[in-house]
Amino acid sequence: MSENSGNRVRPLRPSGATPGPLEVWVVGINHETAPIDLREKLAFSSSDLETLATRVIATTGAAEVVVLSTCNRVEVLATAGVDQELAGPLTEFLALEAGLEVQSLHDHRYVYRGRDAVRHLFRVASSLDSMVVGESQILGQLKEQFRVAVEQGTVATGLRRCFEHSFRAAKRVRTETEIATRAVSVSSAAVDLARRIFDDLSGKTVMLIGAGQMCELAAKHFMSAGVRNLIVTNRSFDRGVELARRFDGTSVPFDRYREYLPMVDIVLGSVAADGAILEREAIVPVLRSRRNRPMFLIDLGVPRNFEPSINELNGCYLYDIDSLAGVAEDHRAERTKEADKAERIIHQEADSFWELFQGNDITPTIVALRGKLEGIRKSELERAKTALRRMDPEDREAMEAMTQAIVNKILHIPLSVLKELAREQDASGASEATDFVHHLFELEMLYEDKSKES
Amino acid sequence: MTSLLLEGSLLAYLIGTVAGGLALWRSSDGLRHATIAALLVGVVLQGSSILARSTAVGGLVVRNFAEQVSFFTCLLVAVHLLAQLRFRLSVLAAVVGPLAFIGSLIGLVDQGVVANVPESFKRPWLPVHITLAFLGNAAFALSFLVSLAYLWQERQLKSRTISQWIRRLPALESLDRINFTFLAWGFVLLTLSILSAVVWAELSLGRFLSWEPRTTWSAIVWLIYAALLHARVTVGWGGRRAATLTIVGFGVLFISFLGINVLSPGQHAVAYG
Repeated sequence: MSENSGNRVRPLRPSGATPGPLEVWVVGINHETAPIDLREKLAFSSSDLETLATRVIATTGAAEVVVLSTCNRVEVLATAGVDQELAGPLTEFLALEAGLEVQSLHDHRYVYRGRDAVRHLFRVASSLDSMVVGESQILGQLKEQFRVAVEQGTVATGLRRCFEHSFRAAKRVRTETEIATRAVSVSSAAVDLARRIFDDLSGKTVMLIGAGQMCELAAKHFMSAGVRNLIVTNRSFDRGVELARRFDGTSVPFDRYREYLPMVDIVLGSVAADGAILEREAIVPVLRSRRNRPMFLIDLGVPRNFEPSINELNGCYLYDIDSLAGVAEDHRAERTKEADKAERIIHQEADSFWELFQGNDITPTIVALRGKLEGIRKSELERAKTALRRMDPEDREAMEAMTQAIVNKILHIPLSVLKELAREQDASGASEATDFVHHLFELEMLYEDKSKES
Repeated sequence: MTSLLLEGSLLAYLIGTVAGGLALWRSSDGLRHATIAALLVGVVLQGSSILARSTAVGGLVVRNFAEQVSFFTCLLVAVHLLAQLRFRLSVLAAVVGPLAFIGSLIGLVDQGVVANVPESFKRPWLPVHITLAFLGNAAFALSFLVSLAYLWQERQLKSRTISQWIRRLPALESLDRINFTFLAWGFVLLTLSILSAVVWAELSLGRFLSWEPRTTWSAIVWLIYAALLHARVTVGWGGRRAATLTIVGFGVLFISFLGINVLSPGQHAVAYG
């Protein structure tokens, strides 16, 4: 249990040294490792995603695949036989898919395997790996993309167990820590700020310049906050039209979007461009024809889309992604403490899951099962206390011995089967069996018990 | 009897102040309602006491500084409560509460020297003029407070550091609209008060205008607010510049109210002793 507790990528394990027919892999890029233009190139649309996992399996020979693609990350979670190397093939596949040089992707990607891959997945699910820690959208996205993979049949027992446990770990983090109590994502920060400026969002018009993931997410937030008028403009007109249709908005050509600015109250920009696409001089006449009504500009682009000096104009409020994150995290210190707590939970969950997953440790299951049955035996004896009191001490002892014998008899066969499975080094058999036993007897306590020991 | 009413209103304002402060600290509907209720009780008691004393002396009791402050406080709370019917302004209640408490405390403590009320002041036009002027000033005072809140919030939004207190304020757009409402009402009341003064001067002094300092200052204030409202209606002048000018306008009003009455002689000084 003490092995492999480091955070780094584990060295390749000689095949067959430890039982475990399945190795878990994660290859991906996120907001910390890759610049936005690279992330944008890799960001797959939801229609791409449906067939992507199947193609990954066909190309790389992975056993199971789930592709996770959000505005801040693109990663492939896969399982394969222990002696199969997946990092290289997965990286090549992603590079090919996005039309990138393998080397440029290689420089920005991260690779996790085994226990670290599981821990990474758990961290992502609990939003500990998000740009704004504690935001709640990521779990929904993870569940959705897992559901797609299940429908496409690219998920079997291995990844299903990983994902289901990651949802459970995320739930534990949410209930036991307070990192998710406030609306903390960048998008909700933008909506919060809009509510500081405008009193009623339902009458306001939002314009999306660029149809990137981040823009789409922010638009979704504004729509659910009551905004009804949406204008989309995008370099690729078709993509803009598609996005506008999805939000029941209007699409305007990219070279003419400035004509529409006077009727727009909230501008969201995330265009991949070398310099600013909207400069101060362009906004001044817009403000005049708006009769000085305030404008809220949200720059989600990297590098920035809007000239920073726009913020100096009277009635203009310009926020870029960093300042939004800054506003969202104004309780930073407090949240860091909660995040530490969450990290500890994830560590425990990942460790105990990994032991179960590898199936080379059935002891916790045996202990938990015994504990469960012993608990039932004792509580039943307790309930029969009045009847027992009328017995002789000798009879009572016999009763005690008898109930213990029943428990042992019941446990005998299941436990020997479990032990045999573990001895045969059929790890998948043993771990599936322990999983099933946990499910059958509702042995939830195991994780908490283990965490207290460690 | 009247001092009992005043003491009662003082107590109610104190309760309103505490509840209003707590409502800022911990946002709750119960505390907000308690604040409004306490201020309502306070204003009714204070109003009754002013009415009782005015009936007793046969003229509006604004004969010294304390009585003026007391009367103004009463109207300020009343106008503020009317505004609360339309806008949700728990922060404003938290500021008006302490102002009302201090104002009625001054009214209770400083009874001061009471000048005899001249006969000309007992004509009905004068109480009308004073009430209109004070109501207008109350509306301008509230627009001043709203403008301060506006500038505070707008500065935080510009500098991208949002404090927890700011979250209790209405949105910038709402503050701007509320400011405009108060300004418009204040302007109407100020205009009416000037007209009523003209009528009073014509009836009791035989001339419709006397260019004494207070009159000049009133004209300046009227022009400032007229320009502000004009720019607002014609070119949509609002936001930070409007808030700043509102504050300037109220500053001039405040100086003319405090300074001129005390320093320069004239019809207004006669009225105030």
